[in-house]
Amino acid sequence: MHMADALISPAVGGAMWAATSGVAAYSMKKIQVDLDEKKIPMMGVMGAFVFAAQMINFSIPGTGSSGHIGGGLLLAVLLGPQAGFLTMASILAIQALFFADGGLLAFGCNVFNLGFYTCFIAYPLIYKRLTRNGHSEKRIFAASLLSTLLGLQLGAFSVVLQTVFSGKTELPFGTFVMLMQPIHLAIGLVEGLVTAAVVAFVWKASPDILENVAKEKALGSISTRKVLTGLLIAVLLVGGVFSWFASANPDGLEWAMLKTAGTAELEATNKLHAVLSDIQSKTAFLPDYSFKASDSEEASAAGEEAWPVVNAGTSVSGILGGGLTLLAAALTGLTINMIKKRRKRAGFEC
Amino acid sequence: MSHHKLEVRELHFAYPDRHKAVNGISFSARHGESIGIIGANGAGKSTLLLLLMGILLPQKGMILVGDVEVTKKTLPMIRERMGMVFQNPDDQLFMTTVYEDVAFGPRNYKLSEKEVEARVMTALDHVGITHLKDRAPFRLSGGEKRAAAIAAVLSMQPDILIMDEPSAGLDPKSRRRMMGLLQSFEHTKLITSHDLDMIYDLCERTIVVKGGEIAADGPTVEILADEALMDACGLELPFALQNCPVCGSKAMPQQHQHSKK
Amino acid sequence: MSNISEALYNMRFMDDLARRNTLVHRLHPLAKLASTLAFLAAVVSVERYEISGLLPFFFYPVIVFALAELPIKPMVKRILMVEPFIIGIGILNPLFDQHIVMLGGVAVSRGWITFLSIFIKCGLTVAAALILLATTGMDRLASALRMLGIPKLFVLQLTLTYRYISVLLEEVGRILNAYALRAPGQKGIHWKSWGSLAGQLILRTFERAQSVYGAMCLRGFDGEYRTGDGQRFCTTDLAYMAVWVMFFIIVRFVDIPGLLGLVVTGGIK
Repeated sequence: MHMADALISPAVGGAMWAATSGVAAYSMKKIQVDLDEKKIPMMGVMGAFVFAAQMINFSIPGTGSSGHIGGGLLLAVLLGPQAGFLTMASILAIQALFFADGGLLAFGCNVFNLGFYTCFIAYPLIYKRLTRNGHSEKRIFAASLLSTLLGLQLGAFSVVLQTVFSGKTELPFGTFVMLMQPIHLAIGLVEGLVTAAVVAFVWKASPDILENVAKEKALGSISTRKVLTGLLIAVLLVGGVFSWFASANPDGLEWAMLKTAGTAELEATNKLHAVLSDIQSKTAFLPDYSFKASDSEEASAAGEEAWPVVNAGTSVSGILGGGLTLLAAALTGLTINMIKKRRKRAGFEC
Repeated sequence: MSHHKLEVRELHFAYPDRHKAVNGISFSARHGESIGIIGANGAGKSTLLLLLMGILLPQKGMILVGDVEVTKKTLPMIRERMGMVFQNPDDQLFMTTVYEDVAFGPRNYKLSEKEVEARVMTALDHVGITHLKDRAPFRLSGGEKRAAAIAAVLSMQPDILIMDEPSAGLDPKSRRRMMGLLQSFEHTKLITSHDLDMIYDLCERTIVVKGGEIAADGPTVEILADEALMDACGLELPFALQNCPVCGSKAMPQQHQHSKK
Repeated sequence: MSNISEALYNMRFMDDLARRNTLVHRLHPLAKLASTLAFLAAVVSVERYEISGLLPFFFYPVIVFALAELPIKPMVKRILMVEPFIIGIGILNPLFDQHIVMLGGVAVSRGWITFLSIFIKCGLTVAAALILLATTGMDRLASALRMLGIPKLFVLQLTLTYRYISVLLEEVGRILNAYALRAPGQKGIHWKSWGSLAGQLILRTFERAQSVYGAMCLRGFDGEYRTGDGQRFCTTDLAYMAVWVMFFIIVRFVDIPGLLGLVVTGGIK
């Protein structure tokens, strides 16, 4: 469920970075105020545990396939929501850097999708509520299962929103939602069952671990829930509105709506694009055709955003130029390599 | 110097599950002394070390380092004087490079960065791993990890060194190298181990712990050679004192030679 | 199991690369971090219908690869390993957008163009992230984060996680081996052992965390994370950063392949 850099727009990436940083700063502050320095090594080592434990395949009876452990909720239950969120952020940072699993710009999205909903929504609203009147194996099992399910559903929906707002793929909103939610219901069920089994075991073997975390009040009280709701609304607003306005061409949402609605207006624009690109591809064969300028002219004349037309790739010279650019890049690399080798042979250190 | 002295008086400690791990232990260590602490699994050695370092606080009795009692308040001062090398170097080397790890202690004592560097380099030089300073701990061999863990403690310039199983998991050559290293230290040393041959070589005095109490305390040569005592405490004679595996004769290895057939 | 040894190998491989000593490796970590972020922002902001605008960005990975003497084959393999996910999502584009455009006289569905654009972007962004790590290393990257004002305790926690991943991976590997040896022909962990297998590991991890905390306390840790001064930021670092940021801006707003193409076609005709 990791978002990749290639799928997001800078606006969405930036907005989610901002939201994630906000939540992280709040969490860090909370831990520092509690003066719980013991938590830091605990978070560090538990982060490594979740990372490694994700390599364990838990086979699903009767299917021949297997599932994994869900990290976010497990961390919230074992370390508390704030520490869990920060630990999740560390894990995702390392995955992004070492395994290119989720990108650096998409980091904010990923921490939010996998950490926020589990630690700050599912954990306080479901897990804590169900275990409020004391722990028991059944309660812990149900609470873990349901919280993991909810966390994953919210995370998946968040992925859909971020992708659609970014407008890099052609996936219509409705189709994407219909694709993501059921898949993640199945994944969530398995993750939830594994997580529940693990949490229940830890509770039986060493109940004080869970009970210590459960004692931390703060999040159970109403005031903080208000804060969180406010935060969530703010995030949605920032994410939605900011990304809409920040991109010069708000093709993301507009396009998504057009596409899913499938209105006549869309067909009209499509025809217009066809005509435009047709004209463009023909005129591009003229040797002295400065298509850059006329492009924008045509586009503005047609009252259209400059989107499908700007690309020079629709002409032979564009393709040729692209090829030459790549060739030049490769040649530069080779030249540097050659210079380096020669200098090395000559005994220079570089 | 008086502050190299370590004194333990009537120490008692029980875990929350009421298991009495240390049950009235008393001993004292002179400056420069090298003491082996041996005993079967669960005898209370590790708990004793944790008490000495103030990670656990005793329910009864006291520990004096020099003239200072180990209490919550005096911990920072105590820990500057006593360094402990953990049994598992992975628990001790928690930073991303060897240098950063060795520098962790001195920096916490707010030394200047220049002083920190000097201390780190001296410590690394002492254990012979200056060339590994920028390496990540997970790229080190077992012996190198152990050396780095020792350096991390040496950079604090402690007067007293406490080691938990320093030879565990080392290959014979690395073990030998580590023993040579420990022998070169002039610190007061407390070493727990099941490696009785190492204790035999390194420590002039040995304390045997059994069931949370001291079963014997005396010169290593006498204690480790006492077959009845060793057996009663779940231990056995060091190989150096066992019968020769070739001819079965019972004598110090360096004193007897096999007759060639 | 192969997953675990692969992950361990991968971490060692990247660590090895980061310990090299080249022009790029010696640069200040902040300079490299800033260049990487500028690169990512520029690449990601390119319109989805644009292919040619992406191509000049290949200069960055190619030049840094050469300057930093990074091995091409294993790195490209790592980059391509990420692509299947992107292909999985992007491949639907041609299905949803079958509108035909003319591309140099050839009819192409626009969906394929957006797909190709995503594919190239993925390669570029993944390459940039890997290059950053392979030329900087986790420890220097952490120091850059501290300099940026990220709370020190968070950085400490991040480096602790990084440090203990290999330890935990090895531990998980041993457990899985022990399990597999006594459960022949079984794929994955049987549901009856789900809780106990991972749960035991959690308990042991808690114990380990406690001894790590003990080790930190013994060396004077009191909740404050103190670090060295870190590398000085000098003119070379500034120059490196400035040149790349300028390059990205130019490339982002000037259609270089287009101009190049014009020059050539103009010359030919």
